[in-house]
Amino acid sequence: MPYLELRGIRKTYPGGVLANDDITLSVEQGEIHGLVGENGAGKSTLMKILYGMEQPDHGEILLAGRSLKIANPHAAIQLGIGMVHQHFQLVPNLTVAENIALGAEPRKGLFADQAAMHSRVRALSERFGLQVDPAARVSDLSVGLQQRVEILKMLYRDARLLILDEPSAVLTPQEVESLFSVLRRLVAEGCTAIFITHKLYEIMSICERATVLRRGRVVGSVRTAESSPAEISRLMVGHDVASPQRTPPNANPRDRLVVRALTTGSAHRSTPLDFTIRSGEILGVAGVEGNGQSELIEALLGVRTGVTGDIVLDGTSLSRLNARRRREKGLALIPEDRNREGLSRPMQVWENLASATYYRSARASVLDLGGLQGAARDLIRRFDIRVSSEKSAVSTLSGGNAQKVVIARELAESPAVLIAAQPTRGLDVGAAQFVHEQLLNLRREGVGILLISADLDELLALSDRLIVMFEGRILATFQRDAATRQALGLAMAGRLESEDAP
Amino acid sequence: MRALFTGALPRTVLTVLLALVMGGVIMQVSGKDALNAYQVLFNSAFGNERALANTLLAATPLIFTGLATLIAFRAGIFNVGVEGSLYVGAFTAAWVGFTFVDLPGVVLIALAFAAGGLVGGLWGLIPGYLKARLRVDEIVTTIMLNYVAIRFTDYLVTGPFFVPGMANAMSAEVTPQAQLPRLVERSQLNLSLVVALVVFLVVAFMLRRTTLGYEVKTIGSNPVFARWIGMPVSRTIMLVMSISGLIGGLAGAGQALGVNYRFVSGFSRGLGFDGIVIALLGRGSPVGVLLSALFLGALRNGASTMEMFTRIPRDLIDIVVALVIFFTAVEIGFNWLRRRRPTPDAVPPPGSAAEPEKEGVRGNA
Ligand SMILES: Nc1ncnc2c1ncn2[C@@H]1O[C@H](COP(=O)(O)OP(=O)(O)OP(=O)(O)O)[C@@H](O)[C@H]1O
Ligand SMILES: [Mg+2]
Repeated sequence: MPYLELRGIRKTYPGGVLANDDITLSVEQGEIHGLVGENGAGKSTLMKILYGMEQPDHGEILLAGRSLKIANPHAAIQLGIGMVHQHFQLVPNLTVAENIALGAEPRKGLFADQAAMHSRVRALSERFGLQVDPAARVSDLSVGLQQRVEILKMLYRDARLLILDEPSAVLTPQEVESLFSVLRRLVAEGCTAIFITHKLYEIMSICERATVLRRGRVVGSVRTAESSPAEISRLMVGHDVASPQRTPPNANPRDRLVVRALTTGSAHRSTPLDFTIRSGEILGVAGVEGNGQSELIEALLGVRTGVTGDIVLDGTSLSRLNARRRREKGLALIPEDRNREGLSRPMQVWENLASATYYRSARASVLDLGGLQGAARDLIRRFDIRVSSEKSAVSTLSGGNAQKVVIARELAESPAVLIAAQPTRGLDVGAAQFVHEQLLNLRREGVGILLISADLDELLALSDRLIVMFEGRILATFQRDAATRQALGLAMAGRLESEDAP
Repeated sequence: MRALFTGALPRTVLTVLLALVMGGVIMQVSGKDALNAYQVLFNSAFGNERALANTLLAATPLIFTGLATLIAFRAGIFNVGVEGSLYVGAFTAAWVGFTFVDLPGVVLIALAFAAGGLVGGLWGLIPGYLKARLRVDEIVTTIMLNYVAIRFTDYLVTGPFFVPGMANAMSAEVTPQAQLPRLVERSQLNLSLVVALVVFLVVAFMLRRTTLGYEVKTIGSNPVFARWIGMPVSRTIMLVMSISGLIGGLAGAGQALGVNYRFVSGFSRGLGFDGIVIALLGRGSPVGVLLSALFLGALRNGASTMEMFTRIPRDLIDIVVALVIFFTAVEIGFNWLRRRRPTPDAVPPPGSAAEPEKEGVRGNA
């Protein structure tokens, strides 16, 4: 008897989107079950149903043979179901320990027992190798660390069935490895997990079985030992996914973005940065998150104070310009954290698509609603954003489709220089491929691209040159041909190749 | 913000009904006939032309202050300072009205409103500037500036603009041609209602159709994104606070020119704060504000007439109003908490709350 069985689950959202259509799925005790599918296929929806956040129109949930109604997440937690969400659900102003224990704090009289809370959180994090400072404020943490907090929160509540909705999307390869060892330890102790990801090699390495969804339906269930990433991706998208073609680099490049002696004003990272991006060049930035990449992005965009040095785009200095003027000069940005820096989730899709340019078509400060909405419809079509209407709120989009909104907006204006931070985070294979093609097209057109990514494969596939950031400085520069995973990995850990050379 | 307002109308109606029922229970318990009271209340608020006019009269300043608060809320600014703008606006308008006595009525009225709005707007700009440029919390500054405005205008009419022989602290009467024309007979309902409705249309249009409205919405829903996408965040905050203050100033001008015909120290007694209630009850929409202002106006007007015809003191209606505020606040606070909280799963699973002694948390299966 399977541990968990979902039978004939069907879910229609208000507005008529059929997100889950007769889904049947079974998971064995102690298994790590993969759930894959295109953006908007209905993965998160199915998991929200299991976690009691959404109610199905139809269908049955059986846990250990018992048919259940899961009315809300509280009920799910009591049943031992825990979920790490695709969008973090943390309170930024509270500390790590407070977030983890929220609502289940150990008490001392009327107040939360801070000491007990901290020691319990510390014990938990040591036990599973999820290092994080219990006293740190969540708003000060990198996304990778926030993810750990989410996992700890679930473990703190004694979850036996773990749902992880794209936990690896924001993690570095090392962090993914440690996540996997945590997961393996948990299943060894009798837990069961459902793991959602768009990275098929992750499915191959950690899951025994995987279920593939397409447009709300189950299109296949595979044993990973008997399958291949190619087969799974064929099931997901319905056809083969071709690798993008790189053209030879630009023969007569000119400088597009010149960065000189840039300091970003954070105290312990005052080493000035110098680099140049030429036309038709993709400059990759490798590095473990938190080594100055975010500060660099903020400095380039002009939303950071205390920045010194010079930033020159096509011969014009940007240093004294605000973010809007910089964008007008041709700077575009796909930010790291789309929900914080790239979108307004309560607002509509067209409003988000128009947010960089709305003021240009305005007459006497009156928005050109028709024009903006029409342009949004074009972008939705061009970038294949799966959404029922340009008037839907971004909060109703699947994660990948929300990312496509950001990408569509930033590429719509044919930028001169594009900063692309984690551009394919949360995108399915097909969509990621599409974005890679777009980046290569821009490269062919002579755009200079700064590609910041935690995904080494992405960096190696696209970059013409690579720099490695470590503790706020550029530790190493690699030409495309000289860059190997090993060399990059060493540099990312702060060690230079030459130190190990005989 | 929008998520907060979905399904707003049914819930608002529910909130109001709940408050009315609770108020009724309180009346019954204190030995009054609640049904009869509400009937009288309704009749005295809407029963005839004069009653209706007086309801609109009571609603007029509330429309202004509700809109003034709303526009700040939309930008994520908790402006508690409309009351202060109202006072400085009222004094300024009255001053224009009793100073430039030689101007013709139309010009004088326009000038008085403009001056009241301008001074109210500048008053709002102070906390706006402090917030935008120096990151000073607007709640603290606006509350303090309210006191400054109320005391300062009081000083003006007891000091430099003291009129001998007047019992209360009030300015001279504005010249007759500056007094706003009445709209119906036997009621003080006056032209400032029309001004309020014009402001309503302008605000509604501004929020829906203009670049400013769009920026306000974006800043109110995600200020970090607004900055990153290049919106003029500081400028918009200052502008919004000025507009909010300007509308507050118009409210004061309307009361001074249309009802009191002079500046009376301490005349408002919280019209500006009522704006907060109305903006909350109206759930961030201009139409909602209009309806809420009418509702509150009807309660206030009905209550004072009711007091004359039944033995129900108007305090009971104040209790109903307080209940409406209470329920709205509870509901909105609840939503706000829900949005703040990580997931609804913050509810502690029974038994897991107090076991810090376990070294690892997970017991083995
Ligand atoms: N609250 C909502 N209201 C309306 N439609 C929704 C809502 N949430 C999701 N949808 C729609 O349901 C469909 C499935 O969304 P879901 O989030 O389950 O996709 P997903 O498989 O998790 O995708 P991704 O890989 O991009 O995260 C999408 O078309 C999405 O737009
Ligand atoms: Mg999802």
